[in-house]
Amino acid sequence: MGDSKPDVLQGTLDLMVLKTLESMGSLHGYGIARRIEQVGGNGLSMNQGTIYPALLRLLQRGWIKAEWGVSESNRRAKFYSLTRMGRKRIESETENWERIAATMARFLAPSN
Amino acid sequence: MSLRTWLSRCAAHFRRRSLDEDLDAELRSHIDLATEENMKRGMTALQARTAALREFGGVTQARESYRMQRGLPFIDQLVRDLRFGIRQLRGAPGFTATAILTLALGLGANTAVFSLINALLLRPLPVPHAEALALLHNDRDDDSGRRMPGPNLSFCAPMFRALEKRHDVFDGVAAFAGTMLQVRGGSGNVEIRGAEVSGQFFSELEVPALKGRVLTPQDDQPGGGSTGFGVVISEGFWRTWFNSAPDVVGRRLTIANAPFTIVGVMPRSFIGADPTRRPEIYVPLEAEPVIDAPYNAIAGGYRSWWLRVIARRKAGVSLEQANAALRAASNPILDEAVPDASWIKEARDHKFHFAAEPGSRGYSYLRQVFSKPLTAVFLLCGAMLLLACLNLASLLMARAAARERELATRLALGATRGRLIRQLLVESLLIAVLGTAAGMVAAPAVSQSLAAMVVANNRSATLDAMPDLRVFLFAAIVAVVAAVLIGLIPALRATSGNLNDQIKCGSHTTSAREKRSLLPRMLMGIEVALALMLVAGAGLLATSLSRLYRTGLGFDPQGVVNLGLDMDKQSLEGDALLRWYREFGEAMGHLPGVRNVTFAAITPIQGGVWINNLHSTVSNGDREIYCNGVAPDYFKTMRIPLFAGRDFLWSDTPSSGSKIILNETAAKYLFPGRNAIGQHVAGYKDAAYEVIGVVGDTRYTSIRDSAPAEGYFPITQGSEKKASYTTVVRIDGPAAPMAAAVRALTARMAPDIPAPTMTTLNSDIDESISSERMMAMLAVFFAGCALLVTAIGLYGTLAYATARRTSEIGIRMALGAHRTQVVAMVFRENAWIAAGGSLAGLLAALLASRALASFLYNISPRDPWVLAESVLALIFVASAASLLPALRAARIEPMQALRTE
Repeated sequence: MGDSKPDVLQGTLDLMVLKTLESMGSLHGYGIARRIEQVGGNGLSMNQGTIYPALLRLLQRGWIKAEWGVSESNRRAKFYSLTRMGRKRIESETENWERIAATMARFLAPSN
Repeated sequence: MSLRTWLSRCAAHFRRRSLDEDLDAELRSHIDLATEENMKRGMTALQARTAALREFGGVTQARESYRMQRGLPFIDQLVRDLRFGIRQLRGAPGFTATAILTLALGLGANTAVFSLINALLLRPLPVPHAEALALLHNDRDDDSGRRMPGPNLSFCAPMFRALEKRHDVFDGVAAFAGTMLQVRGGSGNVEIRGAEVSGQFFSELEVPALKGRVLTPQDDQPGGGSTGFGVVISEGFWRTWFNSAPDVVGRRLTIANAPFTIVGVMPRSFIGADPTRRPEIYVPLEAEPVIDAPYNAIAGGYRSWWLRVIARRKAGVSLEQANAALRAASNPILDEAVPDASWIKEARDHKFHFAAEPGSRGYSYLRQVFSKPLTAVFLLCGAMLLLACLNLASLLMARAAARERELATRLALGATRGRLIRQLLVESLLIAVLGTAAGMVAAPAVSQSLAAMVVANNRSATLDAMPDLRVFLFAAIVAVVAAVLIGLIPALRATSGNLNDQIKCGSHTTSAREKRSLLPRMLMGIEVALALMLVAGAGLLATSLSRLYRTGLGFDPQGVVNLGLDMDKQSLEGDALLRWYREFGEAMGHLPGVRNVTFAAITPIQGGVWINNLHSTVSNGDREIYCNGVAPDYFKTMRIPLFAGRDFLWSDTPSSGSKIILNETAAKYLFPGRNAIGQHVAGYKDAAYEVIGVVGDTRYTSIRDSAPAEGYFPITQGSEKKASYTTVVRIDGPAAPMAAAVRALTARMAPDIPAPTMTTLNSDIDESISSERMMAMLAVFFAGCALLVTAIGLYGTLAYATARRTSEIGIRMALGAHRTQVVAMVFRENAWIAAGGSLAGLLAALLASRALASFLYNISPRDPWVLAESVLALIFVASAASLLPALRAARIEPMQALRTE
């Protein structure tokens, strides 16, 4: 992990996973990790392994579900998708995050 | 953490293995997918895989944090610690057995005594809202204006009836009096535990009947309700006496030769208001003239104080408010209940008033007698348990010292200190749990036998010391405290300090250890001090008890049997009854083994008291004389010496002039400096009695008090119509075989009376000092245990310490130390501990001596002999404990010892 690249906040990662699954549908762990890296671009660095505790957390809350399937390259992989509850939560989680971001933005704005 | 997450974690905990495989498969597929994509971008297989792994980060870390997130890591760790702990304990069976046994002893004793305290002092009555109950009492100042010590819980019937009517602060006010009822059974009358209760008794305690109905104010009328007196019986009585007959309600019961109707059966949980009496039959208070005939406490009015009063506070009325209301009601009630103006004036002068105290636990006479000794015994137990814990802490510390390098290695490998402490604590918790379990198995039996000792031969008392929830809670708390106590200090110590030092040093160096071994020595020192206190206390209590037994009783109890006869409900009276006594005595005299037979109104030590004010022409007014009514041969039977004059004769009838025999003290009191024989003493209304004999002094109510001045009247001149006397018999050999013959004789000669109660005078004496006996026996037992435990502790710690010094001792011997010097060196370790501990214990014992003094008779709590003997006992124990390690050290071969390291 490079020094200059910021670590991913825990709650942030959960929302990224949820949003990824919302836009991509069913996806395996590697796919989710790659997608987050692509969307995040250079601003984000993470070990792909950290995606798994986050996925487990969401599974335990019942927001996503998982089942074994076959990838496009014909490999066995575990595919994750949103549950109904997860879909509902995205909205409130997004609002929540926007509120935090807005609050932070006010703090960070040059004082005038 | 949300509930859903918790459930998911719990579920995962039990499917660890399959979930682990699942995770591994998933991670593998992740790496494979990544590798595949990298290869598509043109990397070689090896490059692609390396890149994939780099992108992924640490696979093991991911897996670990996933696992932590998934299951219940705390439980996992605990299970691992438990397994390790069990392995450790199995590896040292001697240590484990000692530890568990010591703890079982301490915990078992504590739990047993606590369940007794719980039963007698803590447990509320099993009735709804027991906390609203209040015991009423009346207080007055003594002549000097001070409050009389202790509340007077006795009430007379008129005052109770006046209180009963008041409902301003109480929902109910009820009186009760325990009594033995004579119930007609298949073969004559039998004595059954009963209670006389007032009308509101059951409604106030709020327990409905199991069958039929409870007694109500309508039952509590003179002559009873419309169908005569009703009674309520206990579930137990219903079962044993009526074989649980479903139609028991409405049946008749003959009590004191009068008919009563059973109106209800109480459930098993109901025990009345006195937890140590548990009546089988409840009769209305107004039945007193019938069941107590020929006596009548109700007719005794304000002169008979025979009732206990329990009330239920109205909702929202505090005890203070109730007290204020009672105080305000005191004066009007005095006027209402007492028809004697001078008595009222005297009561007012002494600020007579009613008051209430919390009554949730009901009333028990035993509580007053035993609360102090039981608390003292509880303290003894606590000291014993503390001692056991200290002992285990020292042993664990010694063991931990032997494991220092193991722990240091684990610290070096990255284990946190908290983790190691938790592990060591789990080990001590294991010991504590096993010890508690063993102790709990033994506790009920111990507490039952203790309860039997408290109740002794008292026919009217029972005590249920079965453990309940509170006892289990107590045991659990004590076990956890014990576990922390024995585990924490060793764990903290073993994991502290510089681990480099520990790894380097092994058992070579002495410098660091010398300093660090101060703590275990101090612990052992405290243990010795505690043991000394226990031993000294036990020595004092035991010496006091044996001196109590050896004090001059004035009579010879060996071989004396008392047969209590209840003659007040049969038909003979006056001279006819006297003739019956004489014939009964003669018939008794023909039974095998019987030497002398006589009768007495009061037998010593059983508790009966009869005091008369007597005077003579030279006595300077009235003297308080303890009295007794006796038949001829009483002094011969009791082996009380006759110093002058003669004994009573059956021919001393009322027509031959009133006679009296005085004991030596009474003779000196009434006729100072002159011969009493032939003189006259005068009593109530100047009735005169001729002194015909002077006998030796005897103890009267208690062997704790010295012999009082005593006068004996002949039963042949008594005025009571249906007097019940105790038959006093001196026999050869044991008393038990005689019981059947006595029973048969009584049934033949007096078929109407209940079987006589038979006790030996020795057992009466034992019973009269049952609390002293209980304390002394327990104290000696605990002291014995304390000595044993201390010996084990001293031996164990010294053995460990010496084993760790093997190479040091080897060097000393190689450098020319003599074997005797080595023995002395090892001995010295414990000698210091024993000396220091004894000194501290001695000081503490002297400081605590005042608390102990109130339990001691005929001995000072600072008795130098007992204290010296206790110190000697501990020094002996310490020496015995040092012997084996010292001999082992002396047998060390220097070359071998040096080679091992």
